[in-house]
Amino acid sequence: MSQPTKPGAEKGPRLRDNLVKYFSFSAIVILVVGFTLARPNFLGVANLKTLLSDSAPLLIMATGMTLVLLLGSIDLSMGSVCSVANVLTVMIINELGPQLGPPALGAVVALLAAAAFGAVAGLLLGFVHVKLKVPSFIASLGFMSLWQSVAYLITAAPVSVAKVMWGGINWFKVTFGVVGLSLVLALAWVAVAYLFQSRTSFGKALYAIGGNERAARIAGTRVDQAKIVAFVLSGVCAAIGGYFLAAKLRSSAPTVGDPFTLLIVASVALGGTSLSGGRGGVLGTVVGAFTVSVIQNGMNFIKVDAYWQSIVFGFFVLAAVAISVDRSTRGLVVK
Amino acid sequence: MQESKVCFSAKGIVKHYGATHALKGVDLEVREGEIVGLVGENGAGKSTLLKIIIGAENPSSGQMTMEDQPYAPKNPMEANAAGVGMVFQEQSLIVNLSVGQNIFFGHERDFRRYGVINWPRMYKQAQRVLEEVDVGHINPRKKVSDLNFATRQMVEIAKVMNVTQRTDGRKCMILLDEPTSVLSEEETENLFVQMRKIAACGHAVVFVSHRLDEILEVTDRIYVYKDGASVGSLNTGDATEPLLYEMMVGRSTTSEYYKLERQVEPQDAVVLEAKGLGLSGVFKDVNFALRRGEVLGVCGVVGSGKEDVCEVLCGDQKPTAGALYIHGQKADFQSPAQALAAGVLMIPKERLVEGIVRTLSVEDNIAASNHRLVSKGPFVLAARVREQALRLIGRLRIKTRGPKELLMQLSGGNQQKVVFSRALASKCEILILNHPTRGVDVGAKEEFYGLIRDMMQEGKAVILLGDTLDECIGMSNRVLVMKDGRLSGAFDAPARGKPSQVDVVSAMM
Repeated sequence: MSQPTKPGAEKGPRLRDNLVKYFSFSAIVILVVGFTLARPNFLGVANLKTLLSDSAPLLIMATGMTLVLLLGSIDLSMGSVCSVANVLTVMIINELGPQLGPPALGAVVALLAAAAFGAVAGLLLGFVHVKLKVPSFIASLGFMSLWQSVAYLITAAPVSVAKVMWGGINWFKVTFGVVGLSLVLALAWVAVAYLFQSRTSFGKALYAIGGNERAARIAGTRVDQAKIVAFVLSGVCAAIGGYFLAAKLRSSAPTVGDPFTLLIVASVALGGTSLSGGRGGVLGTVVGAFTVSVIQNGMNFIKVDAYWQSIVFGFFVLAAVAISVDRSTRGLVVK
Repeated sequence: MQESKVCFSAKGIVKHYGATHALKGVDLEVREGEIVGLVGENGAGKSTLLKIIIGAENPSSGQMTMEDQPYAPKNPMEANAAGVGMVFQEQSLIVNLSVGQNIFFGHERDFRRYGVINWPRMYKQAQRVLEEVDVGHINPRKKVSDLNFATRQMVEIAKVMNVTQRTDGRKCMILLDEPTSVLSEEETENLFVQMRKIAACGHAVVFVSHRLDEILEVTDRIYVYKDGASVGSLNTGDATEPLLYEMMVGRSTTSEYYKLERQVEPQDAVVLEAKGLGLSGVFKDVNFALRRGEVLGVCGVVGSGKEDVCEVLCGDQKPTAGALYIHGQKADFQSPAQALAAGVLMIPKERLVEGIVRTLSVEDNIAASNHRLVSKGPFVLAARVREQALRLIGRLRIKTRGPKELLMQLSGGNQQKVVFSRALASKCEILILNHPTRGVDVGAKEEFYGLIRDMMQEGKAVILLGDTLDECIGMSNRVLVMKDGRLSGAFDAPARGKPSQVDVVSAMM
């Protein structure tokens, strides 16, 4: 026989989880219907292709952010890490690629370099947060500014990928029906992250730390290690996002990642991961990232002004967080 | 005994949570000037009933009256206004505010002048409130975080007394939910003096405790609850511990509460040794050796440094002097994770703060300290986690809907059982049990004791900070006493020939 004596909490989490889930799902449906009514060929093959392959970079980055948010931390530097990786990718492809021979080789070297940079950026952030005890919000804000400038220092103006090297990045345009290879890769990445999150002790540690860091520590969880790994992964995800953007746009831009910071947070929040940590996961983030992509693509499709787009996204972040925040908890700590 | 006027009464209180029946028609009547004790196992419904009385929960059905008026508070504020106040099980003070600010929290406007708060007047008033419960030595300007738990508890009681005092001469009722669990003996005595004083003024007091001796000492009448219903009420004069125990559990108590017949002699192998261990400003020169199969009790008043010794042993703090040896090897733990790898794990005292992850399921909480053992390669095996949880839920009779249920949905005592399960699941050789039976009922305590005896037979070793002195002496092979950060005594405690509490206490003071 069961006898819960901590009432209120009983239905709370499930109801809220469902609310968040339905919010995202119903948002997708309503938006798709709305955009299709406005412009019937929104659901046409051409746009569907664009929508699905464009969502890949966001999906990858949001996956990384999910791991950090599960801890109850945040990584605001992802957008600018993405920018640096982006300019780094194009620089390596253009300058090193031709000497290496086949374009694919240059692209692979660039991928490795970008990922390595992302890992280092994550390691630095993790170190500052964990060892110097700087709150992740502030630490990542500092790195955001830092990497933004680094991106400008590498290449101040947008640079196109040299035509001879297109062979290395054309994979982004490969599609199977309406599903692009980029999306397939992104979903594979999510699947790996899902395994990490729910089947390894690292994943278990993320949830435990996000739920009660002190208890997790006393229970023998490697708190510092898990946190640093999560930040390294978020850095790598941001960098791969930047790499994907280079392949998609066939050019670099030192500001390309900036708008993504908000979109990433929006995706994760819409996906139902609690901003105070301990609850949610990457599967929800997939739904959240698609919601964001549909909004973004749809607004472009019906030609909504860019400034208005930002207003809409700001609103969505607020709404998603307002719904997903756990108000039943005793001490509502917002960090 | 002279029958005084009824102060509070509750009739037929029913509470459902979804399909579960937490209370099945409970009655409670408290007369003016009376101290009533509520006893029952974990999950018997005591906490739920108190929450309903204070307005934190609504009853599904049933009626209450307070001082002849119908009483149905929607929130604790309304309850306070009707003269009902409660000292919560979990500390409810705001630690970064001062004592005075806490006492008048939510009533600051009473001290307002020209829109700003007149602090001197507030603190003067706070001083008076503290003096009323004989803790005038507490400076109301002090921050709550600088006070120890016992003092905080007294502040909380002062605060509750203050908000429920009525000016119209009608009586009030104070609810105390396990207030003594963090108090030392002396502080408990002071609390009892205060309770009697409150009752002597004609107010009613409701007292919940898992310690039957306290219930018998301080109350006038006792209600016994079991599985959401009242088994009966009796005058304290007619009650004895075995009788209460039998009513609560439905079976009679064993005289061998601590299972002394199963106490084993420790083996020779020393598993943990502290040599000159010290933490600057907190404790120093702590030397002892823990043997395989030994329960080593550590006693001392709050602030004697015993808690800090635990924190050093489990790797949470680094010692500033001396060294720790595990199986003869010098151990230099940087974190509890390293201690765990060496086979040392602590069950912490503060369950909510350090013990459990509320947002995780029962099975994940149980597996929190043994991922190594339920993993294959890099992957945690869900089936093994589940199987282990089911086994321990059965063994410790944890009341839960299943291993997937979130821990926040369990009652306090059952959460503690989960924490204890985690220690069992960890398979650690050396367990530091810091108040392992805190907040669990008599029946569950007995089970815990049995499990500790089992572990000793398996050749494990335990350092025990007992929830009561009685428990510490009863369970241990040897008892160390700490005072002012030093070891002040050591007593052998074989099954036949336990040291007397008086001797141990005299080393503590």
